[in-house]
Amino acid sequence: MFVLISGESLETGGKIPDLKLKLLDGKKTSIHALLEDGPLLIDFWATWCKPCKKVMKHLDKYHNKYEENGFKVLMVNQDTPRSVGKVKSYIRSQKYSFYVGLDPNQKIAKKLNGLIMPTLILVDTDGTILWRHQGYMPGEEVEIESKIQSAIGLSTDE
Amino acid sequence: MCKPLLLFTLFFITCLFAEDLSYNAAITSKFGDNYNFYTYTENRFDLNIFYKDFQSWIQYEYSNPPDIGFPINDIRKFRIEYGHDNYTIKLGDIYEFWGRGLVLNQIDDQTTNFDNGIRGMFLGYEKGGLTFNHINGNSNIWDFGQDLRIPKYKNSHNVSANQIIFDLNSLSLGISHLSSKENHMLMFGNDAFISHNMKGIYGSWILDNVDLFMEYVDKISTEKNNIGPLDSLKSGHGFYLNFNIYGGNWGLTTEYKRYAFDKGHLGFTPDDYGNRIAFQAMPTLVREQNSTLLGRVAHQFNFNDERGVQVSLTGSILNLDVIHQYAHLSRNEEWQSQTLLDWVDTSIDGYLPSSNPSALPYWENYLEISGSQLNDNLYFKLGRGQNRGILEIMRYFKGEQQDRIINSFWEYDTVVTDFYGTIYTIIDSAEVLDTSFTDLYSVENKMWQELKSITYPLELSYLFNNGYSVSINFEYQEKQLRNTSNGNSREYNASDSLWVLIDPGNPDSNFTQYDNLFHAGTKNFDTQFNRMLSLTIGKASKWSATLTHDQTNAFFGPTTVDPYYNPLEALIFGDLKYFTGKRNKVDPPDFIQKKWVSLELAYNLTSSQRISILYGSLQGGLFCSNGVCRTIAPFNDGIKLSYSAIF
Repeated sequence: MFVLISGESLETGGKIPDLKLKLLDGKKTSIHALLEDGPLLIDFWATWCKPCKKVMKHLDKYHNKYEENGFKVLMVNQDTPRSVGKVKSYIRSQKYSFYVGLDPNQKIAKKLNGLIMPTLILVDTDGTILWRHQGYMPGEEVEIESKIQSAIGLSTDE
Repeated sequence: MCKPLLLFTLFFITCLFAEDLSYNAAITSKFGDNYNFYTYTENRFDLNIFYKDFQSWIQYEYSNPPDIGFPINDIRKFRIEYGHDNYTIKLGDIYEFWGRGLVLNQIDDQTTNFDNGIRGMFLGYEKGGLTFNHINGNSNIWDFGQDLRIPKYKNSHNVSANQIIFDLNSLSLGISHLSSKENHMLMFGNDAFISHNMKGIYGSWILDNVDLFMEYVDKISTEKNNIGPLDSLKSGHGFYLNFNIYGGNWGLTTEYKRYAFDKGHLGFTPDDYGNRIAFQAMPTLVREQNSTLLGRVAHQFNFNDERGVQVSLTGSILNLDVIHQYAHLSRNEEWQSQTLLDWVDTSIDGYLPSSNPSALPYWENYLEISGSQLNDNLYFKLGRGQNRGILEIMRYFKGEQQDRIINSFWEYDTVVTDFYGTIYTIIDSAEVLDTSFTDLYSVENKMWQELKSITYPLELSYLFNNGYSVSINFEYQEKQLRNTSNGNSREYNASDSLWVLIDPGNPDSNFTQYDNLFHAGTKNFDTQFNRMLSLTIGKASKWSATLTHDQTNAFFGPTTVDPYYNPLEALIFGDLKYFTGKRNKVDPPDFIQKKWVSLELAYNLTSSQRISILYGSLQGGLFCSNGVCRTIAPFNDGIKLSYSAIF
């Protein structure tokens, strides 16, 4: 436990498994396929999660801003049958352009430990996990962008 | 002891072969203790290991006792998966989701202690657009009784399920089958043995601006009686439709459901078996709220007997995000009480839900506007939720009856008899009863319980340039809970099987009476006023402090008395005498009653490790998650600690 508490290095390391997932438009893909062009930021969210919606605005901005660098954002949705029908409406209403995956019974979230929402996992092109982050407080988008810049080589900030 | 050792060994092997293996893990720990001996300790460790085509998951739990559920010190869940080319094999705890859950939707939800996982085997084969899935195994699913923390009723299932999916571009079709042999625990008496058989079909069609989803399931159950062949018990069906249209930055979601696996005008108990089983966790068509006060008036949906529609419009205009959602649900039948105990049902005409109180209707209307200003530093949200539902019907009769009139009279008969030359006249008498009926007259005798509420959730947060943020959440709610009686009768006479008119001489004299069910002590209240205010101050990436004040004016049921006066309450209410040794140590002051105050501090040790501590009181109430609702016990004057880490 003491190792965990003191270990900043726990946020990083390890390879992401190649998990398959279904996208909002019905197409199928996998995490490794999304990593082909560059780093990937995975975020777990649901339509009823307030902090998730707040961070999404920033993540979509970063997805568009760093798209030229091969960077992508994958939002893994965990809405249950109760609300999964409203996911596309919400995404369309916000004109978000990031990738949205569907995980209605938390298969992917359990495998990547994303049960707390939002949970962000930044993955390098080779599949190495660069950064993990739980929760969102206003202002944390600055740190998120800095980690993305670092992953795509625009900054030396680690 | 050997199981923790096994877990450690697996973890050690993971590290040893780190080049070929990858892993991730999570730790969650929770501790709570309060004045009312509400104590819990929950610790869970999740480990996922990935090695080439193999994946494994182990969850170890030490909880003694947990917040909700049974104490455990063991490997709680495990699964090994192998996937190669087109094949997938899983052994262990299986959680799958088919269609929209009318046949199978498996959830392990710790917050409501609902777990319908199957321990067994999963086989999958996928080629081109075709997918075959098969599940076989056993499952123990627990339901709660009176105790809010410890489950009481166990239903054991032996399950076999199959699914075939055909995907072709934007079209997807699936057929599924699930059969289960259930050992069902009853409230009284021996367990029931039931066989469930379900056949389902679903299809989806996804286009750019339109998508459509439909699912239908047919279910039959039979009961074993140990004497002869299986008796047919119940049959039913479920249907769900979701049609969405998108245009510009607006989306319209429409949903329809009709679940008819059983019927009844009351709630279902463990003794009502043979109907929908716990693997069926379907869309509810009520809003998944993130407001505490709206969550407390959530509709207690009925998967066995309910139909409904929901329309939701989502979009943005003038940089404002708008959500408007309307839902109307009811049971599939309207009910009439022939007597106080005998009820008869009539199926509702058509496909839409009924507004007749005897069909236990529910309406929900929610509007939310949110947006950001000042370079996205200011966020605001205004909501308005209106809920109305009939919770219970006690009497519901409207019809005609006639009184029986019993007339009695004597009949006399004269017989002349010769007795030894003497003539005698004998007069026989007999009482004769004659029954006649009055004209038919109209009778109405109705009584139901209704809950109405209007709620305004508001949120305002501001982010300063130095990373500090302030957030205010305020929720205001007006709630009415009352019994409504009306008609020209308020009683039933069991001896002559008639409804008793309030004024027999005037059948047209009607009455309407409202009985408010909220009270505090001996005083009745027409409306319950609830206010919840929480103030959060945070520093990005590091810490946040949240002070929550929850207040009401009346209760349904016993009046809750806060027996303990804690320093946080003294501080919030400005009672300095508490800290100078001059406080009343016997009776808690009146100003802390009907209020729940708590302070939570959260600190991010690292970006993937978070610790939080809460001190104070939390009001219990209805809590819904994943389509399962539980009444959560209140937490009075105590401390809660939690720690979570992912790595």
